[in-house]
Amino acid sequence: MSNIEQTLAAVKFDQAQPAASQRTPAPLGKRSLLAISWLAPAAIVIIWESLARGGWISPQVLPAPSKVVAIAIKLATADSLLNDLGVSLLRAASGFAIGAGLGFALGTLVGFSRIAEAAIDRSVQMIRAIPFLAVLPLVIVWLGVGEAEKIFLVALGVTFPIYINTTLGIRQIDPKLIELGRVQGLGRLELIRRIILPGALPSILTGVRYALASAWLALVVAETIGAQSGIGFLAMDAREFLRTDVIVLTIVIYALIGVAADTIARFLERHLLAWHPNYGGTR
Amino acid sequence: MNVHVAPSHVSTASSGPAVVVSNLTRAYGKRIVIERLNLRIERGEFVALLGESGCGKTTLLRALAGLDPIQGGRITAPRRPAVVFQEHRLLPWDNLWRNVSLGLQLPDAQKRAAEALTEVGLGDRLEDWPRNLSGGQAQRVALARALVQEPELLLLDEPFAALDALTRIRMHALVRELVASHRPGVLLVTHDVDEAIALADRILVMRDGAIAFEHRISDAASVSRAELLAELGVTSSQPLQLSDPEGFHV
Repeated sequence: MSNIEQTLAAVKFDQAQPAASQRTPAPLGKRSLLAISWLAPAAIVIIWESLARGGWISPQVLPAPSKVVAIAIKLATADSLLNDLGVSLLRAASGFAIGAGLGFALGTLVGFSRIAEAAIDRSVQMIRAIPFLAVLPLVIVWLGVGEAEKIFLVALGVTFPIYINTTLGIRQIDPKLIELGRVQGLGRLELIRRIILPGALPSILTGVRYALASAWLALVVAETIGAQSGIGFLAMDAREFLRTDVIVLTIVIYALIGVAADTIARFLERHLLAWHPNYGGTR
Repeated sequence: MNVHVAPSHVSTASSGPAVVVSNLTRAYGKRIVIERLNLRIERGEFVALLGESGCGKTTLLRALAGLDPIQGGRITAPRRPAVVFQEHRLLPWDNLWRNVSLGLQLPDAQKRAAEALTEVGLGDRLEDWPRNLSGGQAQRVALARALVQEPELLLLDEPFAALDALTRIRMHALVRELVASHRPGVLLVTHDVDEAIALADRILVMRDGAIAFEHRISDAASVSRAELLAELGVTSSQPLQLSDPEGFHV
């Protein structure tokens, strides 16, 4: 009797939510699922730690995670780790600012003006066809191995994704909305501020995400070659002395900064594109 | 020669024409769509423009809105007209009151937008996004956005065509109310004969780029649906498929 009732209730529940996702409803809450998602990474770290401590992995090949944490604390307190991190971030930030500014300016110009497109776009597309890391030897000949070379390389990696996505975003705006702007009596600047830039923003932010990834790659490569400071310098210096703990630490730091950059990009998307069904989420 | 006197805010008198069109000619390349058309719409007058697809009625509306260049004649309007299109054309990245106040260069733009939204029954959704609206609600916001400009000429380009029959009837009542209180001159472009009869003071039928038939609803003898359909080239021998008469007995 009660079994039948339960079945009936289940059927009714199914009918009430025909649009519910096809996955089986989780019996656990959101927090439990979050905990489960961290189980595998935690297990890997624990296995790694015990293998290293048990002498199964040589510390020359891969040091224990606890050793990496220890060296991180030591370098941060007694040595120049924070200084090196600051130098790396400054290089990334200035390169990004220059590249993004240039890419946005060129993209806006080409997006708005057919003449600018005719004059600029082909050259930019030709330069873009070169993998930007391939020009590194040339950049070193021009600028040496100082700060300028590193910032230039980051800026080069950032300019193109921003340029392309800005142009694309402006081109993709619904001409009917621009027509509406004219009907409502918007001036040229108001039209750009109220309709064209907000309309192009999803595409521009996609460009920002690509640009962050390529800025990162550029920084790693630039710092690996002839740096006197920075995270990359730390890694190269550690290689000389076979300090795998420091090398692993620098890799982890690069990964963490990458995650931080992606978090910033997601944050920007969530807040600037709150109106967009694919990003905002909140109604 | 072809002067379009649109955004002049000089004349604000409450009587007189909302728009005067004389000898208007509009062509796409060599193909002439409108030829030497004359039209005068008074403030507070509701004019419906009927016509088959491709007869030039939307072309006329776009010329009046100042969206397309004209090749001859003259359009004189005291102020820039407001337009409601077939699609709502709301900016998805702006909330409702910001959508309604688009282009409103006044310090109390937000307050006016709120009042306009209240007038169309959406006063409690000021901060909502357009994507959360139904088709009828979105079109009501578009109507508020047009009326908040306090236009002397309101151009409606088949604004109810994409709505379902029930929503359309409700929109007719709302538009009648709003036009009665704001009293702009209205030009409604439509292909729906019943809509024209329900709303307009004067019905024009356009054919081959010219106004072929004109009828005032206030005339003693009311115009019949069949008569208008005949003007549109639908004779009684043809079965009437334009709109299902049963659908209007709601």
